[in-house]
Amino acid sequence: MIDSALADRWIVVCCGAGGVGKTTVSAAVALGLAKLGHRAVVVTIDPARRLGSALGLDHLGDEPRRVSPESIDDAGLTVPGELWALQLDAKATFDRLVARNAPTPQDRERILENRIYRHLSGAVAGAQEYMAVERLHELVEDGRFERIVLDTPPSRNALDFLEAPERITRFIEGKALRLLTQPATGGNIAARALHMGGAAVLSVLERITGAQMLRDVADFLGAFDGMYDGFAERAGEVRELLRSDDAAFVVVTAPDPGPTEEALALAERLGKEAYPLQGVVLNRVHGAPPVGDPAPHELRAILADAGARHPDDLAARAAETLDELRALAQHDGQAREALTAALGSPLLGQVPALPDEPVDLHGLARVTAALRT
Amino acid sequence: MQRRLCFVLGKGGVGKSAVSAALGLAAARAGRRALLCEVAGSDRASALFGAGDVDHERPVELAPGLFGIAIDVDHSTERYLASQLRVRPLVELLVHSKAFHHFTAAAPGLAELVTLGAIWSLAVELRPGGERPVWDFVVVDCPATGHGVALLETASNIRALAAQGPISEQSERIEQVIKHPAATGVALVARPDELPVSEAVDAAAALRRRDLPVALAVMNAMTPQRFRDDEAGALTAASLGAGGASAAAAAAALAHLERQAVEAVHLEHLEHGTGLPVLQLPLLVRQEFDLDAVQDLADAAASGLRSLGQ
Ligand SMILES: Nc1ncnc2c1ncn2[C@@H]1O[C@H](COP(=O)(O)OP(=O)(O)OP(=O)(O)O)[C@@H](O)[C@H]1O
Ligand SMILES: Nc1ncnc2c1ncn2[C@@H]1O[C@H](COP(=O)(O)OP(=O)(O)OP(=O)(O)O)[C@@H](O)[C@H]1O
Ligand SMILES: [Mg+2]
Ligand SMILES: [Mg+2]
Repeated sequence: MIDSALADRWIVVCCGAGGVGKTTVSAAVALGLAKLGHRAVVVTIDPARRLGSALGLDHLGDEPRRVSPESIDDAGLTVPGELWALQLDAKATFDRLVARNAPTPQDRERILENRIYRHLSGAVAGAQEYMAVERLHELVEDGRFERIVLDTPPSRNALDFLEAPERITRFIEGKALRLLTQPATGGNIAARALHMGGAAVLSVLERITGAQMLRDVADFLGAFDGMYDGFAERAGEVRELLRSDDAAFVVVTAPDPGPTEEALALAERLGKEAYPLQGVVLNRVHGAPPVGDPAPHELRAILADAGARHPDDLAARAAETLDELRALAQHDGQAREALTAALGSPLLGQVPALPDEPVDLHGLARVTAALRT
Repeated sequence: MQRRLCFVLGKGGVGKSAVSAALGLAAARAGRRALLCEVAGSDRASALFGAGDVDHERPVELAPGLFGIAIDVDHSTERYLASQLRVRPLVELLVHSKAFHHFTAAAPGLAELVTLGAIWSLAVELRPGGERPVWDFVVVDCPATGHGVALLETASNIRALAAQGPISEQSERIEQVIKHPAATGVALVARPDELPVSEAVDAAAALRRRDLPVALAVMNAMTPQRFRDDEAGALTAASLGAGGASAAAAAAALAHLERQAVEAVHLEHLEHGTGLPVLQLPLLVRQEFDLDAVQDLADAAASGLRSLGQ
């Protein structure tokens, strides 16, 4: 799938429910694209920063760093292209966005020091989702990378990251709220009436928040005055880019009812909103062990010969374990059937549940291999 | 988990909803009136009881002694406004104002504060006329780590933003409860894999920095201890010497044994990294993770907590 469906896409976005393997699959796709000879970068969102160390990049931060050819060699891989990675830092990205759009250094400082901004740019209310998209925009402008793979944060709603830019720019635009905080000056009757209503809303709001918080909000919105257009324009540009043929969306899921339900909803919405959905990857699928019941006598006899103390009991436990593996494989197989039936199309890819968690280059390469076929 | 209010946090997909349901059920079986709270539009936990839509107005009974409620931000905002303003037309004015919606839709932390406020008022609600609380145990199935931590931090954040006024006072009241180790405990859930354990360890540190009372780590979906190291030799011989399915059974047993060893390492990391008592819950191999599974998990939770002295 990497070689066919994704090879010629500039941007690949991996989304899906929490814990299904978005970060793992993103890194594996970037590795696959590097194997095809591209200079590929993966933007990871991995609060525990484990992926960086898996790639041999300790203290991976907001700046792209290249996975060293030595560590790639050490893992026994052949990679003609380049694999780069960075770890999204939402606050740093937001600060740059402000710096880029602020008309003067004073304006910039005024925002960066505003208390509301300091909270907004931290971990709250979709800021991380927004900044994931903004970071993508920066990398596109940067022009250094031939392929960009975007991991997405674990959201309550997997599409949050597409809506976050709009939601936050709308807050910053705060047309209505700004109207409230500015003195009425002339205007027609309708505007004045609106303003009166606004003043009432404001005073009620103030009873809840306290005057100071509202003042801070007003100050914050005032500081963004004149920058809104720049923000909105960028949000619009990314949206357009993500809808173009340069982009590809991959929905990642696991063979469980919860994630599958979310994956289907996500696929439907991406389709409806004209995002280029390439398909669904089913991760962590248990394969079927050989069929047939273990011959109890044979197993018992070999175990006894090999010195097992309770060969009967051991053979029974081994048989039970094999049964469980079959049950898992059957469960995952049924989940796959249900998923493809609901999708009405084949899966884009499938990755086996690896016995060793893919937390190093070698393990990621196994995920990549599964995604290349 | 003798405290009244329990927040269940962890990386995506580790089993927060399943564990919340199990803890709630275990408490109810022990005779405590228990409430399972769902937030941010998730209904995974209550769905395990086969409940249809869980209401956001009033708790519905999921199992004997266990009730469920879904916290809805819009609804809770309106209720909060009504309690603060006390004048219906003013509430109407706000909730019908576009400006207000723009404000609440993106204002940093407001949705979290309202959610937390709703949970808080359920936790402190008293029975009519009495001094006893309505709920003996309130368990909250939180969103994945980052958002879950943000939810718990929100009261302090808002207090830093609004130095005075009702919202600040409200945040302070909430903080007093959720930071009080006798009233509240955070349970951090992981699976025996490296990344979920790392996230739990980091979350424990982040919550402690904020003085939030982390009380328990949960290692969910643990492979049962089925084989001993001294059985490896015989199993290896069988995996090589036997044919077909017998060899496959021996190989499966060996893989299982290896998995036990890997998980022991993760378990130790969770224990030492968080410095918390660890409740171990078994991996349940089922065609469907249903009410039976939750009941088994609740049994395991009850006996595990007992032996931890929790
Ligand atoms: N094919 C696989 N086989 C075995 N383990 C896997 C596989 N894919 C992912 N994992 C493991 O599953 C867990 C979840 O993976 P990952 O962190 O990539 O998911 P995510 O969707 O990014 O999660 P989050 O929503 O928390 O960001 C990790 O412990 C990871 O190492
Ligand atoms: N002990 C267990 N044994 C086997 N399967 C389990 C166990 N606990 C949970 N599961 C399964 O794992 C999957 C994830 O569980 P659950 O929905 O509770 O996770 P979650 O952490 O709440 O996920 P999310 O982050 O999406 O809210 C479910 O399909 C559930 O059936
Ligand atoms: Mg991730
Ligand atoms: Mg859940």
